[in-house]
Amino acid sequence: MTPRGTASWSAATAAMGTELLKLRRGTTIRLCTVLLVVLVPLSCIGAVALARAPNLPGVTAAKFAPYAVGDLATTHLQVLGQLLSIAVLLAGGFGCAWSFGREFTDGTIGALAGLPVGRGTVALAKGLVLAGWLACCVSASAVVTIALSLAAGGHPSPESWRAAVLAWAVGLLAVGLCLPFGWVASVTRSQLGTIGVLIAVVMLTQIVVTLGMGGWFPYAVPSLASGMGGTEAAQLGPASFVLTISMAPLGLGAVGLLWSRLDQT
Amino acid sequence: MNALELTDVRHAFHGRLAVDGLSLVVAPGEVLAMIGLNGAGKTTALRVLAGRLRPQAGRACVLGERSSRLSAPVAARFGQLIDTALLYPELTVRENLVLAGRLHGLDRTAASRVTDEVIERFALGPWAAARTRALSSGNRQRLGVATAVAHAPAAVILDEPTNALDPAGVVVVREAVRHLAAQGAGVLVSSHHLDEVSRIADRIVAVHAGRMVGALEPGGVDLERRFFDLVLAADEQSAAHS
Repeated sequence: MTPRGTASWSAATAAMGTELLKLRRGTTIRLCTVLLVVLVPLSCIGAVALARAPNLPGVTAAKFAPYAVGDLATTHLQVLGQLLSIAVLLAGGFGCAWSFGREFTDGTIGALAGLPVGRGTVALAKGLVLAGWLACCVSASAVVTIALSLAAGGHPSPESWRAAVLAWAVGLLAVGLCLPFGWVASVTRSQLGTIGVLIAVVMLTQIVVTLGMGGWFPYAVPSLASGMGGTEAAQLGPASFVLTISMAPLGLGAVGLLWSRLDQT
Repeated sequence: MNALELTDVRHAFHGRLAVDGLSLVVAPGEVLAMIGLNGAGKTTALRVLAGRLRPQAGRACVLGERSSRLSAPVAARFGQLIDTALLYPELTVRENLVLAGRLHGLDRTAASRVTDEVIERFALGPWAAARTRALSSGNRQRLGVATAVAHAPAAVILDEPTNALDPAGVVVVREAVRHLAAQGAGVLVSSHHLDEVSRIADRIVAVHAGRMVGALEPGGVDLERRFFDLVLAADEQSAAHS
């Protein structure tokens, strides 16, 4: 490796190590981890158990009707995909708001200037560490749901494994959609402002899906792919997935560029 | 080569001039104190010098390179504490120091070794394992200065490094600054604590209304009066021109 390459590698590992340590200690991150790894799997099991309970009141029975029939393990994992498509976006949005926004609200963004580790590198490290954390949570959530499903009487089958892979893929798609919120946090320089934009995106997604244009709106694609909008709406073309996947590099690139050109005023 | 250099720097916020043609030089091994009233333009000048603010005119250099685009080797020899330190409240004192060392270009082993030395030099031993959020404001400030100088930089900027410190903390920071200068570092300190400045600096410059209004000799008992004489003269000159 050239001296310049060695310096870049050293800067990247320093930034990644720093962000990983801050992530491990962050209260927001810990709460979001519990949401994804404990609450989501328990909700999957609970929702299916509720749907199949006798004497269910009419309104609740209608709401949970899709989960009342079919193979138990497969249904658990179908619910997992649907929940992950929203929960990962919320957890990742909060994570990005905290990780990027705190440097502005705490004032540490100025102290990150003039370092051999550039601010663009720090921003990229933040995005990659957050993506890695969310991907681990998605995987752990799938493992915990499978274990809980087996304990609840579910039996593995080729269909249930397909549902597990779909849930995992949907979760990973949602991970990529979180990264642009790092850019939002850096533009608004506010954690609460980022949460506001996150809520607005979730609401906009509902409207776009209602209008039947969800396939062209990246933030709707994971939910539609998980079957939340029904079997027909889940039939998405390759363009929908290309659009959705491209949000991760676009978000990372935008925030890296923004941080490398930051000017304090 | 100068450690720090501002050349005819000018910057305005929303039409109000914060720095108006300010120039200064800090040589290696020298401690230069910049004194001025609140709003005199000290912090703006320091931000420009640290590459945190692009000036509308003029030049700012650290160790011969433009502040706004320091190369990694030069940035590794630069330290700054302006407004907020590189501290994260959820991390311990030791973790913050290691993190600062790593971000200043030290490898893992060197950052750990330097952290041990700095904890001793800044008398932070009793709090080494404590979360930074649990520290008093004085100890937090002492730690903030430590994170800016732990990597033994050759050019240093410290904005009001002693304003929240108790007398013991002031002595610790003063000795750290003099130690850096003895090692060949050029140090620029901004303050409005004239007694402290008098003890720490080799040279003192007074800034008023964004401009350099004169130099003062450290020492003596009438530093405060000499400073106000310079400010008054600058105001009278400004009034005569307008």
